[in-house]
Amino acid sequence: MKTAALVVITAALALALGVPGTSGPATPAPQPGGTLVIGRGVDSVTLSPYATASPDAEVIAHVAETLYQLTPEGRIEPLLAERMPQLSADGRAMTIPLRRGIRFHDGTPFDAAAVKWNFDFIMNPENRAPFRAILLGEVSSVDVLDTYTVRLNLRRPFVPLLAHLTHDFLAIHSPTAVQRAGGMRPPTGEPYGRQPVGTGPFRFREWVRGDRIVLERNPDYWGPRKPLLDQVVWRAIPDDGARVLALEGGQVHVAVRVPPRDTTRLALNRALRIDRTSSVRTIYIAFNNQKAPFTDPRVRQAFNYAVNKRAIVQTVLGGAGRVSDAPISPGIVGYSPVQPGGWPYDVNRAKQLLAEAGHAGGLNVTLLHPTGRYVQDAAVAAAVQAQLRAAGINARLQTMEWAAYLAFTNQPVDRTPVEMFMLGWGTVTGDADYGLFSLFHSSQWAPAGFNRFFYRNPEVDRLLDAARAITDPARRAATYKQAMELIWRDAPWLFLHSESQVTGLRREVQDLVVHPTERVLAHRAWLRR
Amino acid sequence: MWRYILKRVVLALPVLVGVSVVVFVAIRLIPGDPAQLMAGQAATQEVVQQIRQSLGLDQPLPVQYLYFLRNVVRGDLGRSLFNGAPVAEELAQRFPRTVRLALASMAVASLIGIPAGILAATRRSTWVDTAVMLVALAGVSVPVFWLGLNLILLFSVRLQWLPSFGYETWRHLVLPSLTLGAASTAIVARMTRSAMLEVLGQDYVRTARAKGLAERVVVNRHALRNALIPVVTVLGLQLGTLLSGAVLTETVFAWPGIGRLLVEAVLARDYPIIQGATLLIAATFVVLNVAVDVLYGLLDPRIRYE
Repeated sequence: MKTAALVVITAALALALGVPGTSGPATPAPQPGGTLVIGRGVDSVTLSPYATASPDAEVIAHVAETLYQLTPEGRIEPLLAERMPQLSADGRAMTIPLRRGIRFHDGTPFDAAAVKWNFDFIMNPENRAPFRAILLGEVSSVDVLDTYTVRLNLRRPFVPLLAHLTHDFLAIHSPTAVQRAGGMRPPTGEPYGRQPVGTGPFRFREWVRGDRIVLERNPDYWGPRKPLLDQVVWRAIPDDGARVLALEGGQVHVAVRVPPRDTTRLALNRALRIDRTSSVRTIYIAFNNQKAPFTDPRVRQAFNYAVNKRAIVQTVLGGAGRVSDAPISPGIVGYSPVQPGGWPYDVNRAKQLLAEAGHAGGLNVTLLHPTGRYVQDAAVAAAVQAQLRAAGINARLQTMEWAAYLAFTNQPVDRTPVEMFMLGWGTVTGDADYGLFSLFHSSQWAPAGFNRFFYRNPEVDRLLDAARAITDPARRAATYKQAMELIWRDAPWLFLHSESQVTGLRREVQDLVVHPTERVLAHRAWLRR
Repeated sequence: MWRYILKRVVLALPVLVGVSVVVFVAIRLIPGDPAQLMAGQAATQEVVQQIRQSLGLDQPLPVQYLYFLRNVVRGDLGRSLFNGAPVAEELAQRFPRTVRLALASMAVASLIGIPAGILAATRRSTWVDTAVMLVALAGVSVPVFWLGLNLILLFSVRLQWLPSFGYETWRHLVLPSLTLGAASTAIVARMTRSAMLEVLGQDYVRTARAKGLAERVVVNRHALRNALIPVVTVLGLQLGTLLSGAVLTETVFAWPGIGRLLVEAVLARDYPIIQGATLLIAATFVVLNVAVDVLYGLLDPRIRYE
């Protein structure tokens, strides 16, 4: 049994970057009651296993719970599971004991049959759950061993599965409620997806599309720490400026994604607090590794030398970012810094490498970037353009609206005209496998996978394959480190930064959690009066 | 007159079909794949392909259009590709909110714009005239974003009198309708002023004055009614624009109306929503145009409908 090994994995997660807490100094005793209003830029799309993005996940996380949870510090802890799972000796069966005596909001019991029903639903290809392959692709079947024990049978040893079980898209919903609502239809889990029923600290109450989602306290919550707020409300306020003003005017308690230009002003307001929590989202500029001049690693390295990422984070992002020192960010199992401080800024070295590669006379390239998708994305692209110029690289900026952008950067290698493009990747499972395999393994070339820059290194492939089956956390971490060092040296990307989530809060908000996986969690939040 | 209205409505049908064809083809010509957007950027190609099939997006374009047309005739506008909600339900929920905002803005535009225009015309070339026209110039020129955010800053953040977002009560309506109505107010004021100036120079106005009528009666009864025709045209066109969704105002005030719905649908390539909303907007314009034409007859007895 590998229980001990899994415990060590979770301990390794604790090495995650220190995430600033959101509780103030010397907090008084929590007060129950009140309604917390959270202002965010978008509404949810669905509150079912058909969800695809964090605005869905953060609401689901309050209503329906997962078997395990990823703490903001990066630890995996049991939630609906009684304790950590047991792995069979061959690594192909994971046995999970469940907590007893828990009921869904509709009164039906939570048990092994409910877990099996949920996972079977997602695993059934006919149901077309979007995250089936990513999260449960390696699970072949689910067995109910007894009322409170399930066993997941794996196609091959797949260690990242434990992290996947913390993902909100694998939260356990009430099978009875799903049926009573009329089931879940692809692509968005309608009609159940509009009225979720789980075991969580808050019950679903109301959803006015494009405007608000209202949850209310679950007075029968099973957990040791009961929810304190009467209600949690998410309001969709698309304009950044208006969202910040709603916070200043006290109409919302929390405003997510505060634009960098507003942080200095808000910091002076004594009624408010600014929270900066690092995110697991890495922003990068990828090179088309199969297209000249980027087939030459010296050219790719030269671009990395030519850009001052620290200056970009300080000025363009107003400090709301962290210069990448590895292909993935801290807070992810398997992360370790490859080059502390990030790729050095050295224009002369860049020029020298370009000259060695036969581009002494300079280079003309086209840099694609999205606008409004990531924090200051267009401004970051402009800064990169300006800095490349000093190294003799003339980058032409080209932007597209997001839908067109996604399609344009997703063409197969023999057809794509793309030279270099900016994108972001959130390793939301909290495990390096999702952040490295999906991007750097050669089986993931676009359009089949997310390796849209056509990187291939057989040794990296081998290491990423191997790491999926290594249960010993130290060996696994060492394998990822080796893979990341190779990737770093090959420089398939211009490594930029990971984003910070800048959240504005009113002072009275206590114990709210801004999670690195880009979710605001009010499970134990309360309002000081 | 009823025959005239009926004729206009029948003539509107080809317009609506034309709009639907243009929109149907245009949104499918712009790059971007709704299936890819729905599946999320991490989805595998297999998942994207499955979604495309389930939405019928793998069918040839003419086939898709005929399906769409058949369903529209049956009163079924389809379901949102993005969140699965029925389009008709979504429009029924959003459109009344846009109507409420548009009517409130029209009220602002008429109640402020027309008197301001009259005032400027009757005080021509005085400081009053100059002041009104300066304010009107500012009203047309000021960006909606700037005005909206500043109104929020003053009335929601500093004075805390009015809410800055939401749509439930009349208090929620004040700031967005002032913001949205600003430009219309200015246009109406300028139009009223020039129409009044023209009418005030007419012989019958001189006659009215010569009869010894009070200036108030001359202005309100003799001049204003005749000056209103171009103003009504402008008001009708403005209302059409406002009803097709004031995207910026709806965005600043998080007003979940049809403008925001349409913009979000375009960004998400949510074809059924785009088609349904544009059809609704086109129909609104048609109805308004007829209404304005009918209103002419009521204002000006010389206009008769053949």
